[in-house]
Amino acid sequence: MHSTLKLTVSHAPFWHNGSSISSKSRNILLASLLAVIPGCYQYGFPAVGVVTMSIASAILWELLINFISRRPISVGDGNAALIGMMLAMMMPATTPWWAVVTGTFFAVVIGKEIFGGIGANPFNPAVLAMTILMLSWGALFDFNAALLNYSFDFKAVYPLVMSKSFGASAAGSFSLMNLLQGKQIGGIGSTCGIGLILGGVYLMIRGHIRWEISISFLVGIFAAALGFNWLNPELYAGPGFHLLTGYTLIGAFFLATEDSSSPVNFIPMLLYGLFGGVLTVMVRNIGAHIDGVLYAILIINLVNPLLDKIRPKAIGKGV
Amino acid sequence: MPKTLVQEFTKGLWQELPPFRLVLGLCPTLGVTTSMENGLGMGIATTFVLFGSNILISMLRSVIPSKVRIACFIIIIASFVTIVELLMQAYTYPLYLKLGVFIPLIVVNCILLGRAEAFACKNNVSSSMADGLGIGIGYTLALGSLGAIRELLGHGSVTVWGHLSYNLMSAFPSYHPFTFMVQAPGAFICLGLMLCLINAIGD
Amino acid sequence: MNEMVKMVVVLTVLSAAAGGVLAAVNKGTASQIKDQQLRFVKGPAIETILAGSSINPIENRFEIKEGDAEKSIFVGKFDGKANTIAFEEFGKGFGGDIGVMVGVNMDTDKLVGTAVTVHSETPGMGARAKDDPSFVSQFKGLPVANPVSVTKDGGQITAISGATITSRAVCAAVDKAMQAYQKMKPELQQEIKKVGK
Repeated sequence: MHSTLKLTVSHAPFWHNGSSISSKSRNILLASLLAVIPGCYQYGFPAVGVVTMSIASAILWELLINFISRRPISVGDGNAALIGMMLAMMMPATTPWWAVVTGTFFAVVIGKEIFGGIGANPFNPAVLAMTILMLSWGALFDFNAALLNYSFDFKAVYPLVMSKSFGASAAGSFSLMNLLQGKQIGGIGSTCGIGLILGGVYLMIRGHIRWEISISFLVGIFAAALGFNWLNPELYAGPGFHLLTGYTLIGAFFLATEDSSSPVNFIPMLLYGLFGGVLTVMVRNIGAHIDGVLYAILIINLVNPLLDKIRPKAIGKGV
Repeated sequence: MPKTLVQEFTKGLWQELPPFRLVLGLCPTLGVTTSMENGLGMGIATTFVLFGSNILISMLRSVIPSKVRIACFIIIIASFVTIVELLMQAYTYPLYLKLGVFIPLIVVNCILLGRAEAFACKNNVSSSMADGLGIGIGYTLALGSLGAIRELLGHGSVTVWGHLSYNLMSAFPSYHPFTFMVQAPGAFICLGLMLCLINAIGD
Repeated sequence: MNEMVKMVVVLTVLSAAAGGVLAAVNKGTASQIKDQQLRFVKGPAIETILAGSSINPIENRFEIKEGDAEKSIFVGKFDGKANTIAFEEFGKGFGGDIGVMVGVNMDTDKLVGTAVTVHSETPGMGARAKDDPSFVSQFKGLPVANPVSVTKDGGQITAISGATITSRAVCAAVDKAMQAYQKMKPELQQEIKKVGK
């Protein structure tokens, strides 16, 4: 009965680099390890626990929803594991198990499967889940309080909290070199700048993420931070600080570039990234929240369908 | 096939359960169900209006000219809503403060006009009464249960008028209230999941 | 034509009937509603100011005409003497009028306390005027003869950080209350004697 060949027709434009979903997921997971391994080294076994818990529970939720909705089992494509990994990268190592499991539920079930599975989600599932968790249990994700029991050979305060409450001079007390090497506190996989950049470059070269989005996101942050810094150098930290703290790098390389929630054409991609970067810095500098990356990405995800309307004219149409 | 009065009453409890089966009246369903008490209060107020307007419209159905029927329905519904609003101010002021603007907004609740248009103006008084009561109680139960779930998850405890209460945190001391559930987006997700469940159960 | 007349008649009769019923319900519930409003909106503020009064201030209230407006005066009885009153004044805040209940001891002419009743200020900023007792407690014990203002304007009240407009509004309301009190004092003394009995 199932021998009938079904062809699906969908709208142009398309983007394909010849790889399958599972190899893409594998590659992104591999790239994220570059940032996660230093994180696990820094925070020890609790971090490994959070990462494995997150990946495992994400896969289980996907299995469960496959079973309930009587759809083919889709955990093999690795997307659920990838979502679990992304979520764990943003969490502090001390996140309790129930918060991780709730997070992966919201990411996989509410963020992705409800909308029809892979490729149909309007938001980046991991970002959506992380925002929900932060709104609910803010205290768990206050990095200063969460990582209180660790002792490091560097300053153990969350850099963005410092710049938010004490202005640019406090931000200046972090050396950019330290920030780049991951000598700052934060999420398990979001502090090690070198790892994230190397992972991002690898993915860009392999074509798994679009360089236009990542680079324009970073450019947006750089430009907006420069503008704020120029307006009031005492209050607002410089662009280097904003580029290397919080979720900036993980956002630029791993979160904003998620397939189904980002545009595919050249100009929309640039606008998408730029808008996200500028929004991030605006939330950080004049908003109520400490880090703006998550909110910025959710908002650009929302704008994405509009941006996709900017596309070349079809040949022979609308002369 | 004409239904019995009992059937007219019970259809509102499941087959035509307003927010889940008819998917009507979602504005208060999403807006006021931050606690079980608010949900029940809103439901009871709506039931009163629905019951009264159904009876009156059914009584006047031969008098009301069809061209201005909507205007007449709105006058009747709005009068009942204002009566409820005044009564709530007079006797349950704290609940009135919590529900706030949602009480006058009962006027534009689709359930009321829907029942008036689809049922009361075509049926006799007794079956309209049964219909209004059934739909109203179904609505109250739906709002109450949605409110209970959101309050339980979001605050960790459920309290109704200071008496009936259940504290999840005394049963599970390590439970951390999931505040997202009592915020606006939590309402949408919770309603969606309940719709999902009810569709899964089916008739 | 016939239908036209019917439409007009039905609508008119219906509207008139609805209006009549509503007017009746409104009249029937008016005093009860006022009572409830006093109890739940102003009640908490009155209770904090006149805490420890041996009589219920809401039941022992009287009205005084001040200018065009009628003011409700709530009376508290301490140590057997009905000497403390509270009433509400308004100041222009960031998001609209702020109601401030002001309590005055009539023997010493000093403020016994203030509390915010209604406001529409920003939560977490101006709303702290109501939620954070340390701001309003600054008014306690100030003599009614001296005007109050925030330190920024050369006064004695430390403003809520980030909510200067709200703090100014509360000061203005207290100021207005103190002036009104001085104007009303003779009348107040007359009325309060009746309560004391």
